[in-house]
Amino acid sequence: MVKSLTAILLAAALLFGLGLFEWGYVERQFCGFREELMTLYDKEEAETATLEDAKAVRAAWEHRKEDLHVWIPHNDIARIDDYLSETVRYVAEGEHELALAKLEVLLHLTECLPGTYRPTPENIF
Amino acid sequence: MVLVVIRTAIIFFSLLVIMRLMGKRQIGEMQPFELVITLLIAELACIPMADTSIPLLYGIIAVVTIYVLHEVMTLLDLKLKPVKAFISGKPALVMNKDGIDDSQLKRNNLDVSDLIESLRTAGYFSLDCVDYALYESNGQFSALPKENYESLQTSLPVVIAANGEFDRKNLEVTGIPQTFFEEVLAREGIRKLKRVLVLTADGTGKLYLQAKGKKCRVLHVAYPNGTSW
Repeated sequence: MVKSLTAILLAAALLFGLGLFEWGYVERQFCGFREELMTLYDKEEAETATLEDAKAVRAAWEHRKEDLHVWIPHNDIARIDDYLSETVRYVAEGEHELALAKLEVLLHLTECLPGTYRPTPENIF
Repeated sequence: MVLVVIRTAIIFFSLLVIMRLMGKRQIGEMQPFELVITLLIAELACIPMADTSIPLLYGIIAVVTIYVLHEVMTLLDLKLKPVKAFISGKPALVMNKDGIDDSQLKRNNLDVSDLIESLRTAGYFSLDCVDYALYESNGQFSALPKENYESLQTSLPVVIAANGEFDRKNLEVTGIPQTFFEEVLAREGIRKLKRVLVLTADGTGKLYLQAKGKKCRVLHVAYPNGTSW
């Protein structure tokens, strides 16, 4: 009885703790990435963004995604990878309008994706 | 992750309720919640293992959630009687000294042929050689035979009619015309075949007859042309 109760409490605490950590961690990672994207977006709007800026954002994302793979489905990460690669190419070629369009998508994804892991009724059902 | 925990719990309880509603027929040697866990664990372990786009953690979290639910269910099952009845169900007494309890069979989605099959599996070939029979909450079958039950099953009984219908195949096997059994039923005051819950006949001329909502009767008759088996 005591053993069972201890096991239940420990496992429940582990789930609760991991849940809380995941919630905060994923939110923090996407928030940080969004800020980096916003900086690139502002530079791109001013047509001052360079290939190095875009590559720096991609490098930062590569670093973040290593840990994110543990917490979120890999397909969601792959979607960001795709749009980010296109953005880097457009920035390199000076295609500002197209780069801004891709950055819009990325900003939207960083806003929406963390929400899809929250325990809200629409996500549960 | 919290999402995975909540979704796992919802599916667990949904399956548990469905398994309980399905009755004893679907369960074999396990409590309903144990069967649900067995069904879920295999899938939960397989999906993240085979689909590399899903983090392994999702599978582990779901399995840990199932473990917590299992432990909680086991505790409730042991400690709280009303909850135990809801989680695991109650034994269903399907036969007593008055005969077959049709309402209990229906409640568990079973019919007379299922009962006869269970009796045969348990080693009792004749319906009249058992005083009590019940399906346990885990779907297992138990029966209390009469003291002299071995002497009551000297010949293999076959189902002549069940749930208001003659079994044409068995009638052919016995070689006894349907009209003979219709006359027997009429003599016993059963005018409509629909009222017959079960009628079995063995090779020595012993009939086990039970009308719906009535006590069972054991009759001894002589078959036409001295038929026996």
